[in-house]
Amino acid sequence: MTESQSTKRPPGVCIPWEEKRADFPKISGDESVVKKVWEDVDGLAYMYIWQILLSF
Amino acid sequence: MPASTEQLYQQRLARYVRAMRNEKPDRIPIRPFVAEFTAKYAGYTVQEVTQDYQKAFLAARRCAADFDWDAVVGNMVFVWAGLTQAIGLRYYAMPGVEAPPDSGFQYLEPSEDNAWMRADEYDLLIADPTGYLFNVWLPRATTEVRPIGEPATFRNNMSFLKGGMAMLSYFHGLQNQAALLRQESGTVGAIAGILKAPFDILADKFRGYKGLCTDLFRQPQKVQAACEALAPHLLQTALSGADPAKNVPIGLWLHRGCIPFLSPSQFERHYWPTLKWIIEELWKRGHQTLFYAEGEWNKNLKWIAELPERSIVYHVDRGDIVEVHKAVGEKFCLSGGVRNDLLAFGTPEDVRTCCKRIIDGVAGEGGYIMDASAIMQDDTKVENLRAMTEFTREYGVY
Repeated sequence: MTESQSTKRPPGVCIPWEEKRADFPKISGDESVVKKVWEDVDGLAYMYIWQILLSF
Repeated sequence: MPASTEQLYQQRLARYVRAMRNEKPDRIPIRPFVAEFTAKYAGYTVQEVTQDYQKAFLAARRCAADFDWDAVVGNMVFVWAGLTQAIGLRYYAMPGVEAPPDSGFQYLEPSEDNAWMRADEYDLLIADPTGYLFNVWLPRATTEVRPIGEPATFRNNMSFLKGGMAMLSYFHGLQNQAALLRQESGTVGAIAGILKAPFDILADKFRGYKGLCTDLFRQPQKVQAACEALAPHLLQTALSGADPAKNVPIGLWLHRGCIPFLSPSQFERHYWPTLKWIIEELWKRGHQTLFYAEGEWNKNLKWIAELPERSIVYHVDRGDIVEVHKAVGEKFCLSGGVRNDLLAFGTPEDVRTCCKRIIDGVAGEGGYIMDASAIMQDDTKVENLRAMTEFTREYGVY
């Protein structure tokens, strides 16, 4: 479980923006837009796994 | 008589919400949790409504319209087999596949040796619950997902794509179902969002009940730490599905907290602290919780009475509802109490007598919602549910 042990994941988060941000050497436009969209879509993955656990 | 379906909806919503706030509405709201009963009534098999959610939705809407209920759940046969089969969840037996076509889906408790979480994995779960779910639990609990480190397979990749798409499709369908219930019959969606107790999740989905009972003696601190690690995630998940208008409650389905599963002292130590915290956090944000107390919970009422006034709607299954009313009726709205065996094997007169006892005993000042003790499967007789509905509509007027 090497991937997950290195990352602290708060509720609502699978891959934190801070981790993903490191993939981009430079963001030419508004970083806050990129961050928000990343977090919104990441939240869907979080919803998926916790809904599988709770509802199914 | 309301002039339009929308006016009827608003009238019912006001009635339902007023009762849930432990106040007195114009009459007792009727909110039956009907599951496989809907299939029988609408002419489907249990397999059909479990496999094909559009048929389940149609059956639920037909019942809501024909019985003229105030509030229902859009699909009480909630576990849609299309999704569980897409990812190959191992802990279900589905009607028409592993179970007979006329049987409700069954949950398969794992053996202690093959629990979905091993006894020595508490630290992994506690350190990173979401990572543990994706990387350890899901590969073990499904037939399709491969563990970290093993080669990815086509079926592994498909399981995430199909599972995610299936969930979105189903949840969008449920949203549409709520709109159709409102438009077609003026029926209110009874709950929004889901909550489970951290201890129940450990028992149901990780360790199995027997394994968790062993852990209570061998590593009780780990059990407590795991409940504490899960609680913020269960709060987050509950909030993500909650009613934005804060009218209807979040459904909390309680499984292993009561006697004979846990003693009251085990409940106090292991089950209650984290569940209480979640309910209080939800209430701070204005969300009620439907405390669906499956089983006999009357020995636990002194702890439940600690919750903030009106923070829950307390659903009574096997406990004596008059006793419950004496203990917590001043603080919380109650629902349920009509025995399922009576609805399955009794007569309409038996059901009317039971409803009268409940209404006379607990509903005098409002704060009561009519329902069966437990979710109704296909053994509930149509004439008995009709008797419960019609008697309450006539006798339950304030």
